Amino acid sequence: MRVKRPAPASSLRGRRRPHVWGLAAGLAALVVAAGLATATAERQYVIAFANLTEEPGVTVEGTGFTGREIRESFVLAARAYPVEMVFYDNQRADERAIQNADAAINRKVDLYIQYHQGAANAAIAEKLKAAGIRILAVNYPVPGAPLYTVDNLAAGRVAGQALAQFALRSWRGQATAAVVVGNLSATGDRVPERAQGVTETLAQRLPSVKVASLDTHGNPAQVAPLIGKFLAAHPSGKLLLAATDDATALAVKSAVEAGGRVHDAAIVSHGVDRSIHGGMNDRKEIDPPNRGSIVIGSVAFYLDRYGYDVLPLAMRMLRGEPLPARVTTRHVLVTAANVFLEYPPYDMN
Amino acid sequence: MKLRAIVAMAAALMVLAAGSAAFAQSDCKKLVPASPWGPNDQTGATNRITPAVTKAGAAEIQEGKVIALSYPLTDGVPLFGSRFTKTILTATSLAPGAAFGENNLTYMEDTWLSQSHVGTHLDGMGHIGRGDCYYNQIAMGKFINQNNMTKLGLEHLKPFATRGVVVDMVKVFQQAGKFKGNSACKKPCLEKGTVITAADIQAGLKMYNVTLREGDVIVIHTGWGDLFEQFPAQNAVYNSGEPGIGKDAAKWLASQKVVAVGSDQWAVEVIPGEDPKEAFVVHQMLLTDNGIHIIENVRTDLIAAEAAATGRATFFFTMTVPKGVGMTGNFVAPEAIR
Repeated sequence: MRVKRPAPASSLRGRRRPHVWGLAAGLAALVVAAGLATATAERQYVIAFANLTEEPGVTVEGTGFTGREIRESFVLAARAYPVEMVFYDNQRADERAIQNADAAINRKVDLYIQYHQGAANAAIAEKLKAAGIRILAVNYPVPGAPLYTVDNLAAGRVAGQALAQFALRSWRGQATAAVVVGNLSATGDRVPERAQGVTETLAQRLPSVKVASLDTHGNPAQVAPLIGKFLAAHPSGKLLLAATDDATALAVKSAVEAGGRVHDAAIVSHGVDRSIHGGMNDRKEIDPPNRGSIVIGSVAFYLDRYGYDVLPLAMRMLRGEPLPARVTTRHVLVTAANVFLEYPPYDMN
Repeated sequence: MKLRAIVAMAAALMVLAAGSAAFAQSDCKKLVPASPWGPNDQTGATNRITPAVTKAGAAEIQEGKVIALSYPLTDGVPLFGSRFTKTILTATSLAPGAAFGENNLTYMEDTWLSQSHVGTHLDGMGHIGRGDCYYNQIAMGKFINQNNMTKLGLEHLKPFATRGVVVDMVKVFQQAGKFKGNSACKKPCLEKGTVITAADIQAGLKMYNVTLREGDVIVIHTGWGDLFEQFPAQNAVYNSGEPGIGKDAAKWLASQKVVAVGSDQWAVEVIPGEDPKEAFVVHQMLLTDNGIHIIENVRTDLIAAEAAATGRATFFFTMTVPKGVGMTGNFVAPEAIR
């Protein structure tokens, strides 16, 4: 934690005859200021994180990340701060979310990080405000609280750019079709914004390319038949495929391979979860030795790093510093060329 | 044929040129500090083991008791991915009629197939760099071939005969009321991801009233080695992370001018690291920037127990490092003599 240094006492240099009382007052001020600084440095905060859900195996935000991964990122990130973390599971239920807020009020936490999608957020905001507890919202707004959130539209644009650049570099002048595949009806997870970002960017960069949509309704088993039909409808030409999550991307790749169209396809995904990247020994799809993959890359959502992104904001709030009303995840394209920069492996030592 | 030869030569030249260009990109003087022992130094922190240091360390031998600081070197210990160990015994002369001479001599020997960084092992200075810049600003790209390094090999190290100091982080964390363990450990161990700070190490030293001296080897007991001892049952847990020193502790240890840092886990530093976008940064701080060796998978429980029983955490540290020419590391068998 950065501690504000006390204002330096006014310099005595230049005074011909420093007054003894002035010197004493200066020293006293220094002592007091140093004391305050020490007190500030030693202040231990209690921060609550009420997670969206920690149901085992359940993924969130239309990605492959689980609530447990998000919580663990807070545990790891908290190591660098003078904070005690208190964790709650909102279980995607308003009633539970309110109970958690009540528990945090009783616990007298200093700050409450609320990750919940539901009508209860307004009531929770009022309760916490009345208790004098500051709130930081994650992914879903809470009245009066700064918001840290994914930016699905921006992520989709990154994916669209990657596909467009690949097509312009590799397939210029060749007939090309594009498709967005995934759980496109998942409005709660704002997956349609992701698809919109892809579609808008492709339309802008490749105006002649028609962009189709294939909705799996969250069922990866639907990818193969949907892609199979799409391939049949486009028996020749090149194919740009945007998957809204990594599991879908891997299923799309399998379907393209089964359809014998590997040399005509390029895939970009969203998420960068552990199903698509790993360490030195995992040999996952996005891997430095696998640069020839038709999966060009995946747009990072970093849900497994939320703690590292959100806790610094929380600390700024606790120090009384102003925060922007909305801070978004920095979505970048992760490819075989930068995957070990973004996610350094440690399984080689 | 002639055309093929020209093409092959051109390709080879292109590869060499590309390689040279890549190496030329790094200015190692900006990326890595110079060695305090001069521009030709390849010995690193073992320069600190002077006769006076060894003699002072030997003063720790009071009972003649030798305590092992290494684990058994055998197949099945925790390793990552495609790493392996394989021992093969040659015992052909034991077959009937295969003995030699009237004196009936028989013999056996081993083939040991393994990477060098397995088991209790030493990380040499050629193990870790920053880009292609290694210890003492050496642009290592110019000094490697397919067999070994032509600089910074283990053959340049001085013998490890100095004072050792054990710090018991399990006790420190227990006494500070911040101990979090892992249920897979049979004996108390710090949980993976636990960051050991300079203040923690200082508390561990204070526990036994020890002040570090230039030339010391510090041995950090985290308890995580208990999982190594259970091999192969807990190999996956052992490799999944570890408690260890963070950047603050590494910086402080470097300032204390120690020769080596050893611990009972596989990387000495905390995993997951403090910053998820950094890889093994403590390795760089110790090895690349300061020439301080890292000893991994050190058996620390015995010496920690000895310190607890006697109230003395210091010992004579002795460790033979094979003169592996151009090698980046090797298995070692450190010992504590009291």
